[in-house]
Formats: sequence, structure tokens, C-alpha cells
Amino acid sequence: MIETILAQLVNGLVIGAVYSLIAVGLTLIWSIADIPDFAQGGIYTFAAFAAYFTVTLLHFPYFFSLVVAVITGTLLSVTIEKVCYRPLRGSPFSQLLVAIALFFLLANLAIFLWTPKAKILPSPLEGIILNFAGFSVSLQRITVIAAAFALFIAVNFLLKRTKLGKAIRATAQDPETATLMGINRDFIYTVIFALGGCLTAIAAALIAPLYAVYPEMGTLPLLKALVVVVFGGMGSFIGALAGGFLLGLIETFGAIYVSVAYQHGFAFIILILTLIFKPGGLFGRS
Amino acid sequence: MLKITHFLKSKKTWFYILISLLLIALPFMVSEYITYVVVLTLFYAMIVSSYDLLLGYAGQLSFCQGAFYGIGAYASALFSIKAGFPVYLSIPLSVVITALVAAGVGYPALRLRGAYFAVTTFFLAHFVYLIFLNEVWLTNGPLGLRGIKPLEALGGIDFSSTTNYYYLVLVCFAASIYILYRTANSNLGKMFISVREDEDLAESFGINTSLYKLVAFVISALVAGIAGGLFAHFFRLLHPSTFTWLTSEMVVIMTLVGGIGTIFGPLIGASVVMFILEFLRFAPELRFVIWAVALIIILIYEPRGLVGLVERIRRVKR
Amino acid sequence: MILEVNGLTKHFGGVRAVDNLNLVINQGEIVGMIGPNGAGKTTTFNLITGILKPDSGTVKFKGENITNLKPFQIARRGIVRTFQIVKYFPNVTVFDHIYIGAIAKNGLRADRKTLEPMVNETLQFLHLKDKKNVLVKSLTIPFKKRVELATSLVLKPKLLLLDELMAGLNPAEIDEYLELLRKINRELGITMIVVEHVMKAVMRLCQRIIVLHFGRKIAEGPPEEVSRNPEVVRVYLGEGAKYA
Repeated sequence: MIETILAQLVNGLVIGAVYSLIAVGLTLIWSIADIPDFAQGGIYTFAAFAAYFTVTLLHFPYFFSLVVAVITGTLLSVTIEKVCYRPLRGSPFSQLLVAIALFFLLANLAIFLWTPKAKILPSPLEGIILNFAGFSVSLQRITVIAAAFALFIAVNFLLKRTKLGKAIRATAQDPETATLMGINRDFIYTVIFALGGCLTAIAAALIAPLYAVYPEMGTLPLLKALVVVVFGGMGSFIGALAGGFLLGLIETFGAIYVSVAYQHGFAFIILILTLIFKPGGLFGRS
Repeated sequence: MLKITHFLKSKKTWFYILISLLLIALPFMVSEYITYVVVLTLFYAMIVSSYDLLLGYAGQLSFCQGAFYGIGAYASALFSIKAGFPVYLSIPLSVVITALVAAGVGYPALRLRGAYFAVTTFFLAHFVYLIFLNEVWLTNGPLGLRGIKPLEALGGIDFSSTTNYYYLVLVCFAASIYILYRTANSNLGKMFISVREDEDLAESFGINTSLYKLVAFVISALVAGIAGGLFAHFFRLLHPSTFTWLTSEMVVIMTLVGGIGTIFGPLIGASVVMFILEFLRFAPELRFVIWAVALIIILIYEPRGLVGLVERIRRVKR
Repeated sequence: MILEVNGLTKHFGGVRAVDNLNLVINQGEIVGMIGPNGAGKTTTFNLITGILKPDSGTVKFKGENITNLKPFQIARRGIVRTFQIVKYFPNVTVFDHIYIGAIAKNGLRADRKTLEPMVNETLQFLHLKDKKNVLVKSLTIPFKKRVELATSLVLKPKLLLLDELMAGLNPAEIDEYLELLRKINRELGITMIVVEHVMKAVMRLCQRIIVLHFGRKIAEGPPEEVSRNPEVVRVYLGEGAKYA
């Protein structure tokens, strides 16, 4: 009994880590650039495939594939911002449409290129099982959670302690004044999209060995991460973090105690309840 | 009298008369397969033009027209299978259900500004798909819902023939386009436009913007529900995969390809997209890729869609 | 008494934009509201019209507490405002812009036969007749403001809040506007609160002037009296005089 609960707790944290990682990038992009960046769902898929091919075709080690995934995700995200969002700046309506079109495009492009079939990304960490007093868990799972926390600390440091972070937060609060103070808005956008793409890619490459690599893999994590942004409060780093883990836990325990079939439906209910009772989100400003 | 002569002199009038005659004569001119594709196109045309009322007039982006299409289809099929209702009753009931779902989701999501509504509707589309897929006791899940009754014969007309059903759908289509067009040009349509143009200003003029957004959303859902009901008793087999978020995406693409805010533009969009999709049947994923790229290019270079493109070409010619 | 504001307070972060403000506006008055930038004039308008919710305090309109009503509900009760940075529906014609206002006032069921004369009357009143089929976005800013005002008037407000309507106009145009506003006040019986930076205009137009500074009311009274008030001279007129 205790073992099951512990195992589910780890599962919840693993999934939660993925949601949080994507949501942190999304909340920055959504609050600063005013785009709910659906394209991150496609970036997630492409990063995972990049990792997959690095390991299976080029026979590089898994750790190296993480680097390749991050480079792929970051470049893709930055390019999308430059080519597709920037020409439409000032019309959030069109940007949102383009974001969704990109999501649609990347998912179908992946199906076209690599067929809908699921692929396995092998990781040496998955084979290492750790034992804690009769409770066993794979090193891969521990790595996902640990890596996520390390990244959150790093991102928090970047946002709170560095000059760049101050510039990002200034832009988030008041873009006009920030521009007047000499902050280059294009540069800030590039940075947040790079950060978003990087976090999404890491999430994808870390979790891929636990599940599978397939073209539609980005859809659900993306939708959940968007809910996490609303649930945690728009633009709130801590909200994205806490909200992601909370949703991960709700889903895993909800799957056991409520319904497996609606594991992916809880987020929708949370979204509706948030909109009704706390439209600003848990850590929102208003 | 002057009005009538003016009416007859207008090129547009003749264009519409020509199109109407073509549509009426269609089953006698083309194969049953083409008629069949046209029926499907008419369903999409209904969904797309009602979506235009929401997007082009009230200025609200939603991504769940496919879900409402699905709710209308499944609800009507289930009313007729499980409750044994005649189709003439099951379709109206399914439309009521579609409208209720739209109101229930739209009410909390439309009170907020920004992309909250769009994101919520995207999720709704997925949630509805999950229900179709998982509630096996009700929807038969991934195996699909079979044995849906055709529309009962009325006055000796047998609606299980493609041609006869085509005329029924054509009538429903014409009626819904007419109603949508009238709505768009009525006082209600003007209220929608005020919401699209500037919500704060509309609100300060005493316009209940949340209400009008909700009304536009429910109307768009309602027409999609009718199309869904008609689809269920035409195709007579429902599968969850027909109603994934990709379907909702195609609706958005058709609307934008046609050009928003015109009710008629999206009709052209629906026809063009549907027929090209049919031609590209041999490469199913590639056609979605092509349309997605087309949409992005349209958004960046010609946001008014095909209608805008035609206007642009005309201007160059002059 | 048409409007009564009691202890109205609004913070933005640590800044008190409006601080314990009390106002009384009488039926038929034209009241001027002046003060340096950031004095809280626009915030006060936003609080009265429900765009912002106050931290504390109440707004009463004709005896009814309207503090927590939504903007559209307040507008329906007869308080209509214009915006400091002109707001308009860009992609509609001048006629339709005002027509939308007429629908908002008279309801969806009102037919074109009833609404059209109202719109035409308003077009006439504001000398917009020859622009009626022009898209609002293609007008110059003074004309956009005029369209905004025209739409406000077709709503037949009891109280009109005008936020820097005359900014950017030349003296001749200001004179024309002053005449127009007096006419609106006199002929249509509309009470007004006017926020203006153009001091001379406010002094000439208003029977009573309220001076705000850092969200507080520092003076109130007839124009001559206010302009002699030493504190007002210090915070506002002194600096205004430089530009005059």
C-alpha cells in the first residue's frame, strides 16, 4: 500500500516536473510577449525526436542527446519567434492563430516525416534501479525530478539575481518604460523564447525514455502546461512551478482513485474551476 | 421597382443565382461520389460560416467547432439509438445540448480578456474527444458508434438516398446561411462588431460585452450542432477520430483561408479546402502540413484571406 | 445632487492614486477637474465608471450606490465618459459608430426607422454629416474625438465625464468646443465633469473647479477663487503659467 503510494508520488512528481518545466517558459512568454505559445508543443516533439535520432542513428550516448535536444528546441523556438511572431507583433490575435497553426504544422510534419508509430529512446539511467528500504525507483525518474529542480534554481537565479533577469522582469512589468530605459525588447524576446524552447526540450528529452517518442507526444503536455500557467497565475514563476507539480500529483492520484480514462481531463476541470473562482490564478496579481 | 432592376443588373446577383442553380442541378451533373463530397462540404460550410460570426464579427477566437460538431452528431445518434426518438426530434434535442455545453464553458471563459477563452476552448475540444473515446458504454469508444438510423421518410421522400439527403442538407445550409447573414447585419451583429472593435469602449457605451460574446459563441455552437446531427444520420457511423482537435483546426483554417467577417468568404474557404483535401487523399499528413503552412503565410501576408487576395488582384488589374 | 463620491481610495502598488476623495456634483453643473499629471483625475473617472474597483469608498449616482457595478451597468444608468487617449471602433463608418450607440441605448429591438433619426440628429449637432460614410480610423484625431463624443451623446447621458477632450486643439477650435459643450449642457440638460489641461478653457467653461494633487482634493470653488488659492498656485498654476 505504502509502496504504491510512494511509487505514484514519484510518478506524479516526474510528470509534474515536465509540466512545470514547460509552464515556466510558457508563463514568461505568455506574460511578456502576450502569446500562449502553442508551438512549444511541437518543439517538445521535435526535441524528443532529435534526441532519439542522436542515440539510435548516430549512436551517441544519451547524455549527448540531451544537448542536441536542447540546441534543437532553443533554435526552433528562437527561429519561430523571429520568423513568425515578430512580423505580427502588435496583433496578438494573429499571433495566437499562428501559434496554433505552428502546433498543428509541427505535429503533422512529424507524422509525415516519421510516421505516427511510437519509438523507444533508450537511456542507461532507466536500467539503474535504486532501492530505498524495499521501495525501488529508476534513476531516470530521480534524474527528471532532480534536473527539474536544478533548472528551477538556475532560472530563478537568472531572473532574480542577474542584470538580464532584471531587464526581463522590467519588460514584463512595463514594456514601454523598459524600452525607454534602453532595454532592447527584441533581445529580451529572443532570450525568453530561447529559455522557453530550452526548458521544453529538456523536459521532452528527459521524459522520453520513460514513455515513448511519437509525433503527438507534445499535445497533452502542452495543454497541461497552458492550464498550469492559468492555474498558477499568469507570469508567476512560483505559480508555474507549484502548479505543475500539483497538477502532476492530481493526475496520478486522480487516475487511481477517480478514473484512469479521465487522467487527462482533470486539467480541464481545474481550468474551468480556476476561471470561475480564481481568475487571477493561485499566485496571480489580481 | 427601381430596387428590382438594380438587383437584376448587379453582377453579384447573377453570380449567386448561378451558384444556386448549379447547386440545385448538381446531383444530375456529377457522380454520386462528388455529391457525397459536396454534402460533407456543406456541413463544413455551415460550421465555418457560423464560426465566422464568432471570429469575424464578435472577434473571439475559439478552437472547438469540431467538438460541437461532434456533440451534435453523437447526441443525435444516441437519442435515436438509445431512446428510440425519431430523428426529427433527436436532432433538435442534440442542438439544445450543444448550446448548453457552449454556454456552460463559454460563461466562465469569456469573462476574462486575452487568450484564456481560446485556450479553454482548445481544451474543451480535447475533453470532448476523450469522452467520445472513453465512455464506451455510451459511445462504443474507439470501435465507433454503428447502426445509426437514417432520417425517416417524409411525404414519400426517402432520405436514405444520397441525392435526396443532399437536397435536405442544401435546404438546411441555405437556411442557416440566410439566418447567419441576417444576424450579422442586424442590431445584434452591430453589437458583436462593437465587441470586436474595442471591448472597453463598447462596455463604456453600456454594451454588455460578456453577454454578446456568449451569445455569439452559443450561436456558432448551435449551427455546428445542427451540422453534426445531420452528419450523424447521413454517414451513420461515428468515430471519435472524426472529432479530434485537428477537425477544429481545419475549421479555423477554412475560415481564415476564405477571409473573416463576411459570412460568405468562409464558404469559399470551406469549398476550396475540402476539395483540395479530397484531391490530396493519397498523402493525408502532407495535406495538413500544406494547409498549416498556407495559413501561416496568409496570416503574415494577407490577413483578409482569399477575399482579400481577390480584391488585391482586382486592384492590380485596374 | 446627481453624483456623490465618499472616501474614494485607490492604490497602485505603493502609490495612492486617489486618496480619500469626496465629491458632490449637482444636477446641471459643469465642474472642472484639474491638477498636474498623475494627480488622479483619470483614475477618478475610471473609478466612477467602474473600469477600476476602488480599495475603499463609495460612489452614489442619483442616490443609488453604484460602486460595485460593472462598467456597462453604470453606463446604462446614465454616466458616460470619453477617454484621455481617444477610443473608437476603427473599422466602422461614422454613421455606424453612432448607430451602435443608439442600439446600446434603445435596445436590440429598436428598428432602423426609430434609430436613424437619432443618429442623424447627432451627426447634425456635431457637424459630422459630411463624414457619415467615412471609416472612423481614417479620420484625424480631433474628428475621432468628435465621433466619440457624438456616440456618447446619442446615449442620452445624465452625467458626462470628459477626459481632455480639447487636448491638441488650436484656440479657434477650443472656442468652438466651449460653445458646443455649453450648448450640450444647456439644451440637452447634461451635467458634466471636465478634465482639461487647457486652463483658460476650464476657467471659462466651468462654474466650479476641483483641484487634485497626488490623489487628494486640495481646493474647490468658483474659478476666480481657486485661481487665487495659494496652494493651487504653488502646485499647479505656477507651473501652468509657464506654458501659458
